[in-house]
Amino acid sequence: MAKKKDSFNPDQYAIQKSSPVFRVVSTVLLIIWSALNLYPLFWMITFSLKDNMQITKTAMYGLPKGAPSEWIWKNYKDLQIKDILMYFKNSAIVTFLAILISMIAAMMASYALMRIKWKFRGAINKMFMLGITIPVQASLVPVFIIAKNLGWIDTRMALIIPYAAFSLSMSILISNGFMTNIPMDLDEAAYIDGCSRYGVFFRIIVPLMLPAVSTIAIYSFLQCWNELMFASTFISTKELRTLPSGLRQLTGTYTTNFGLVGAAITVATIPTIIIYILLSRKIQESFIAGAVKG
Amino acid sequence: MKKILATLLVVAMVLSLAACGDKNNTTNNSSNNTPAGAVDMTKSCSLTMWCIAVETDSNRASYEHAIADMKAKYPNIDFKWEATQNDDYKPKIKAAFQADAVSDIFFTWSCAFLGEFVKAGKVYCLDEAYKEFADKIDMGRMCKNTTYDGKKYGVPLTMNIVALFANMDILKSVGYDDVPATYEDLLKCCEALKAKNIIPFGCAAAADQTWCVTEYVEPIIEKACGAKVLDDIFAGNASWDNADVAKAVNIFQDMINKGYFDPDGAGLNNDTVKNNFIAGDYAFYMNGSWNCADFAKVDGLNVKVSEFPVIDASKSKLGQLIGGPSDTLAVWNGSKNAAVAAKYTLEMGQLLSKYGYLDGCGLPAWKVDYDISNINPLTKKVAEIVNNSDYMVLFGDTAMKAEDADKYLKEIAKVYGGEVNGTTFTSDLKNSIR
Amino acid sequence: MKRKTTDTISIIVFLLPALILFFGILVLPMVLSGYYSLFEWNGVGDMKFINFGNFKEMFTSDLVPMKAGLLHALLLAGLSVGIQLPLSLGLALMLGRGIKGERFFLSINFLPVLISTVVIGKLWSAIYTPKGMLNNLLRSLGIIGEKNILWTNDGKNGKLLLACIIPMLWQYVGYHMLLMYAGVKSVAPELREAAKIDGATTWQVDRHVVIPSMKQVLKVSVIFAVTGSLKAYDLISILGGNKNSSAAVPSTLLMNQMFDANRVGMGSAIAVIMIILCFAFAVLINFLFRERD
Repeated sequence: MAKKKDSFNPDQYAIQKSSPVFRVVSTVLLIIWSALNLYPLFWMITFSLKDNMQITKTAMYGLPKGAPSEWIWKNYKDLQIKDILMYFKNSAIVTFLAILISMIAAMMASYALMRIKWKFRGAINKMFMLGITIPVQASLVPVFIIAKNLGWIDTRMALIIPYAAFSLSMSILISNGFMTNIPMDLDEAAYIDGCSRYGVFFRIIVPLMLPAVSTIAIYSFLQCWNELMFASTFISTKELRTLPSGLRQLTGTYTTNFGLVGAAITVATIPTIIIYILLSRKIQESFIAGAVKG
Repeated sequence: MKKILATLLVVAMVLSLAACGDKNNTTNNSSNNTPAGAVDMTKSCSLTMWCIAVETDSNRASYEHAIADMKAKYPNIDFKWEATQNDDYKPKIKAAFQADAVSDIFFTWSCAFLGEFVKAGKVYCLDEAYKEFADKIDMGRMCKNTTYDGKKYGVPLTMNIVALFANMDILKSVGYDDVPATYEDLLKCCEALKAKNIIPFGCAAAADQTWCVTEYVEPIIEKACGAKVLDDIFAGNASWDNADVAKAVNIFQDMINKGYFDPDGAGLNNDTVKNNFIAGDYAFYMNGSWNCADFAKVDGLNVKVSEFPVIDASKSKLGQLIGGPSDTLAVWNGSKNAAVAAKYTLEMGQLLSKYGYLDGCGLPAWKVDYDISNINPLTKKVAEIVNNSDYMVLFGDTAMKAEDADKYLKEIAKVYGGEVNGTTFTSDLKNSIR
Repeated sequence: MKRKTTDTISIIVFLLPALILFFGILVLPMVLSGYYSLFEWNGVGDMKFINFGNFKEMFTSDLVPMKAGLLHALLLAGLSVGIQLPLSLGLALMLGRGIKGERFFLSINFLPVLISTVVIGKLWSAIYTPKGMLNNLLRSLGIIGEKNILWTNDGKNGKLLLACIIPMLWQYVGYHMLLMYAGVKSVAPELREAAKIDGATTWQVDRHVVIPSMKQVLKVSVIFAVTGSLKAYDLISILGGNKNSSAAVPSTLLMNQMFDANRVGMGSAIAVIMIILCFAFAVLINFLFRERD
């Protein structure tokens, strides 16, 4: 445990002595800014313990009205926790596989683009960057047609592959940064030892790319986890729904019990936040490792 | 090297293009199974349905109820249904139609929304199937919105109208024991409320809430100009350029200018306005009859429901309403079991109409042949109003083509914001809507 | 020679998965959008070829307020680069110098990105409601009088565009901050120390040592911020700007044309403009950052 901690110590990078005035001022500013960013989390949780009247009128910002025993705990009781966990699981599967596919594809492409010298690698690299420019809304119908012809409609594939494709360009962009950081001498030495391109990639590059994994993962995660349009269009079967489209089941046409929606979102968000906090050291560490090159 | 790469790109392109080459196949080979005679409802087959009755929707219970009945009646039919949230459903169903991968039975809105699909030949005609049900429904009135070129394509479920809700405790405090029955009386009542610092009307008009304004504007136009005039305009048979309509819009703006509406309304959402009304901030709230069940549930809320009073008795009268059958089920032409689906849909529609009515989430589109004594009094009262009505004009944004509805709503928002008056409203719409 | 062919093959093998994904899912829709954009088409009926009619219409008619939409997107991009990124950079530099609770602040400030946009949207609706927090705050500061500002109204009395922009800028500060923090941290400490010994102030160290070495990170941040702004959709739509509103942006117009107005041709034409614009900006940003090498 202790050893693990030593592997990342932010203070070692820092200048030890800045002026005390600076420290106080920046700490105060940071506390104010952090409070602004922490408030939504607090608000989300209190929101889940109110009824519509409190949410829209009588207790909009703070704690629910009355003593804790009068808070609308019913919202959690009314919640089909089992369904939410199922949606969570589906989201996790889809997101994980999409990230995995896009990461593998991106690292392989990045290897060919950054470590093998050939004529059109610059052009191909630029071409991949086109991917971050495409608005998802415009691709709904074409992707539907493609997915239908491949028999993917109402299966997880209809989400996994498009999500992977839409995170591909960003993954390549990040991957390239890490890739240039690995000294070329390593490849050369391996070739002299008789390694093939594939051998170099799998034995040398992939292990060294591990710090890139969490950086790519977190950016792709943000793209896939909250996606609603593809999810609600391509998936009809309840058992396959992802979180965003599953939670939409709680929004009625004319009347919505917002407290219930809040409870569902809270149940769905808390695990994400816990995972993030648990992983944040690792994430931040890998961010730093890959940063310079972007 | 260059060549190989080029070939590779071409191959990838061709592969992906080939994948969507045969997109028109499904409709062609399955639209020809319309049977001539009776439909065999006993053979086993599977049917799928998409609708918008999500798990917390007020219509959910009636769907579950109706489908349970249907499953018991037809154990041979493997029925699967899934609900998608209202706003997400529109892109979904449109994308599905473009890709020719729709469920056998699908939820749709009447008039323009379904009309687009019908025009493209993608909806199964229900004329044959309706024959058996002729005595169960008032086809002239209830199927009007889903009849295209004289052919019926939709099964109406429940329907709603615009209703004027009044908080009777507040009215009593200014000396009214009943909802003002005439327009003049209503204005007097508003003045009395204003004098006591009570806001007469609540209406949401924040961005994207303009439909709430139409719930006021449309009945006012109707009660000032007559239902036929408005109906013809919505249907595109008459021009918006109508002096009476302009005058009616001015009447509405006059009410705003006199301070009869919550001055904050232009920044409020309907959820807030509705809760304000429940909390007793407003004397009146005009909105869809689907609110009945919610208001009936609130303890201590003394609400009466009625229609907006007649403004010009020479042109309109009581019983001219805004609303009508819009929620509809239809059958996809590409369905492998379209004929079975058609009959199934009609029977289910009848049940949905019944259970929806019993739950108080809407009024029945089908004839009532069951006990209704347990329905909440507000819904019952609205049903009475509908029974006594002689002309229902569908909500403008449903009646019109999506493109036109968009322009219409935008212009309505300007009316509420005081950016245009009646004359500019009608002339703007005349110019932008063909 | 042999090395050359095996190289060609391995290049293909390594690129293949990415190319399949890229062409199958990304390029094809782009090609189809380009094709559809030349037609008047409701998606299910007959297609009518109208050449560049859709493009002409969106820049000349009021019905598809593309000019305003683009203007809003560019404004958002400008504010994103001009306000959001400097704020992120400031925070990143502040944290990067080593402050007590550095990692705590880092994690907290990333939270808004992790919380569902639906919740963020609802929260801001509550803040904006006429008798809500924002108006009360402004009133107690003496900025507004008796009359409430109708933040989420779409008309000329409303402030919908501003109301949509504020939360969008705020939500992603943490996202860029995390990226930039990593950049700050990866500057070799010796470099900073050397500058300090030479008598540079903290600010001078940041200005002349840290920021220049973060160029690549900044470039990525700017690209993400600009393309993200041009494609912005979620929060605007939740706050009510999803029709042809006064806060319309290209994405909301696209959705509106494609799925409300049934104009697939027009929606595709908007997509084409968005793609061209995003790409042009990405190239431009790359160029700007390269020039100073």
